[in-house]
Amino acid sequence: MEHCPIYYGETMEAIEIKGLKKSYGKFLALKGINLEIYEREIFALLGPNGAGKTTLIRILAEGLGYDAGEIKVFGRRLSKETARFIGYVPQESISYDLLTVEENLKFYADLYDAPKKKIYELIDRFALPKKKKAKELSGGFKRRLNLAISLLYDPKILILDEPSIGLDVPSRRELWELIQEFKKEGKTILLATHYMEEAEALADRIAIMNEGKIIALGTAEELKALIGEESIIMVEGFLRGLKRLKSEFRLVEKEGSVRIHVKNPKESLPKIVETLVKSGSEIKTIKIEEPTLEDVFLKLTGRRLE
Amino acid sequence: MKLRAIKGIIIKDLKELRREKMALFWIFIFPLMWITLFGTMWGGHNPPISLDVGVVYTYTNESSAFTAYDVLRIMENVTLEGVHVFKIREFSKEESGINALKHGKIDSLIVFPSGFGRNVSTGRQAKIYIYFDRSDPQQYQIVRGTVMGFFSEMEKKMREKRIEIQLKYMEAYIPKEDNISPETIKEYLIASAEPLEVEEKEVSGKSPTPIQFYITSFIGIQFLFATMLTIGTGTLEEIEKGTLRRIAASPATAWDFLTGKMLSTFLIIMVSIFVGLGYAKLVFGETIVPSPLGWLIIFIASIFSMSLGLTIAMATRSIKSTTAVVNFVSMPLLFLAGIVIPESIVPSWARPIANYFALGRALKEFRLLEIYHRPVSEIMPGLVLISIETAVVFLTAIALYKWAIKRLEA
Ligand SMILES: Nc1ncnc2c1ncn2[C@@H]1O[C@H](COP(=O)(O)OP(=O)(O)O)[C@@H](O)[C@H]1O
Ligand SMILES: [Mg+2]
Repeated sequence: MEHCPIYYGETMEAIEIKGLKKSYGKFLALKGINLEIYEREIFALLGPNGAGKTTLIRILAEGLGYDAGEIKVFGRRLSKETARFIGYVPQESISYDLLTVEENLKFYADLYDAPKKKIYELIDRFALPKKKKAKELSGGFKRRLNLAISLLYDPKILILDEPSIGLDVPSRRELWELIQEFKKEGKTILLATHYMEEAEALADRIAIMNEGKIIALGTAEELKALIGEESIIMVEGFLRGLKRLKSEFRLVEKEGSVRIHVKNPKESLPKIVETLVKSGSEIKTIKIEEPTLEDVFLKLTGRRLE
Repeated sequence: MKLRAIKGIIIKDLKELRREKMALFWIFIFPLMWITLFGTMWGGHNPPISLDVGVVYTYTNESSAFTAYDVLRIMENVTLEGVHVFKIREFSKEESGINALKHGKIDSLIVFPSGFGRNVSTGRQAKIYIYFDRSDPQQYQIVRGTVMGFFSEMEKKMREKRIEIQLKYMEAYIPKEDNISPETIKEYLIASAEPLEVEEKEVSGKSPTPIQFYITSFIGIQFLFATMLTIGTGTLEEIEKGTLRRIAASPATAWDFLTGKMLSTFLIIMVSIFVGLGYAKLVFGETIVPSPLGWLIIFIASIFSMSLGLTIAMATRSIKSTTAVVNFVSMPLLFLAGIVIPESIVPSWARPIANYFALGRALKEFRLLEIYHRPVSEIMPGLVLISIETAVVFLTAIALYKWAIKRLEA
């Protein structure tokens, strides 16, 4: 029962969202989302914790109710029927601890009425230890098992919520490679993340979300262009007097470094150095850098992303 | 209704259970421990009674036809199921006999005063003193019953003997013409000494054994604890973990999930009941093989128990509270609803619980049917009552479950 979506033109919307609103009691979690996700692209929702990414995803993938708006999946209204097009990899593990990898996959295959041979295909593909109990798996393998479960019925759209949260760097890289492979195989991918590196490394297009709204949307390049004339001065070292700078510039603090947004670097640089040194800072390096998505977020919201 | 999904849920539940050692203990081992404990303590056949009886009597030179010595020989020869009932110990003095009785060395002391033999042999009334220890009321009942039983039987035999002897003397004086035979006179004499002849008869051919009672207790325990907890905590675990939301988002529905969960719980409990019945047969050589109607009662009771467990779980919405509530409610019910003690010793104010709480009533009807072999018509009113209660609790559980699912999707 494979439904073939109709093509019109080159790109077609895999998911189309108009005016989506959702509240939890009195709290408005989504304040009118408009979004189009094209077929075969990797689309990232980038935003800090609490932005509403998971809420949006759960509406798409888990049938979570919403208050207003219209959602279409390959041109059809979102429903239990369109659920088949969507595979969902939640942030938490959905495997049963006491069951083995194979038994978990068998259970979900029964739920989704998926062919048995798909189970072994996925075990091979993700190099899963099939006789190991889920509770004995490392974080990376647990995430892969989650991924395998959502691929059992070969969905056209794959939705991942914070796919690399809690993973070490090698597991994260492996996961990113897998996600790129899925794209090559023709799947549409929607991922939610609060790591700008993840969005930048994977996504064709990125929607920046904050407080239940999409505040910017485009490719990484397009988003960075929003910074406009601004330059970023990066200072590393033992830094004091950042508070004084804050009154004049927008800045992102990290451990042992700070990124300062300035309109005119030639004018601002001496001022910054002077303020820092007078406050007792020891500057190790100082340079002008390319803007990142973090900088974009800062410019748009005045807040840090992470 | 997605059959493959329901089958998948059942298989998954069974596999999980197989690996959960605590659950296995509570569902399978704990109830077996119960049967073993109570079965060995109070179950099985009572061993035939054997009493240590002390006696004091005076040897006299008199050469009576019948003496205390003869009574003792008869006592020694009384057997029950091949075991001698009385073990006689002779004491030379009454005081030492009483002392032995006080220290529990003997169960009873019989004193034949001097002249006993002469009185018996000469047709006079002969006196006997019997001492008992009343400190253990139950033991006292048994000892007294047995010893007095012996003497009343003995008395009866002696009476007949005396009447026969008296008749021999009388025969010469009976007028021949009045058609009064010696047999008729004997009959009258016996009847005047013993106007009533009481014969003991038993109503039911097969008397229930304590083991059978404890097997039914075990089934009750399964319904009060394992069944409620298995479905209640099982459902909550899936809500807390988010897997129920996942299942509800799959082509299978929340109703498929509930169907699967109920079937797997039912299966687990049935297996545990089979294991219990088999275990009793193996260890005590006795068990209950329920009739189809008996199985129907078990089926309805398990639906009631599952519904109640689910109701508690959906109302408390936490595994800890569910466990606490189930234990808090079920522990006293073990006794008050007559699950582990016979209804006859349930305090009278609690009798309505045994009669109107579906699990207590179900067990009562099950016992009437399977242990006491009462006619089906006697079971019917109870069966109707528990069916109605089950339907009510089932619908409540469903409503609460529906509400919980709604909250998942809100
Ligand atoms: N089930 C819920 N009930 C009430 N509030 C919720 C619920 N889920 C999320 N929220 C709130 O909605 C907002 C958005 O949450 P979420 O969608 O999880 O954001 P994100 O995934 O971007 O971190 C947060 O403020 C969160 O506290
Ligand atoms: Mg989230």
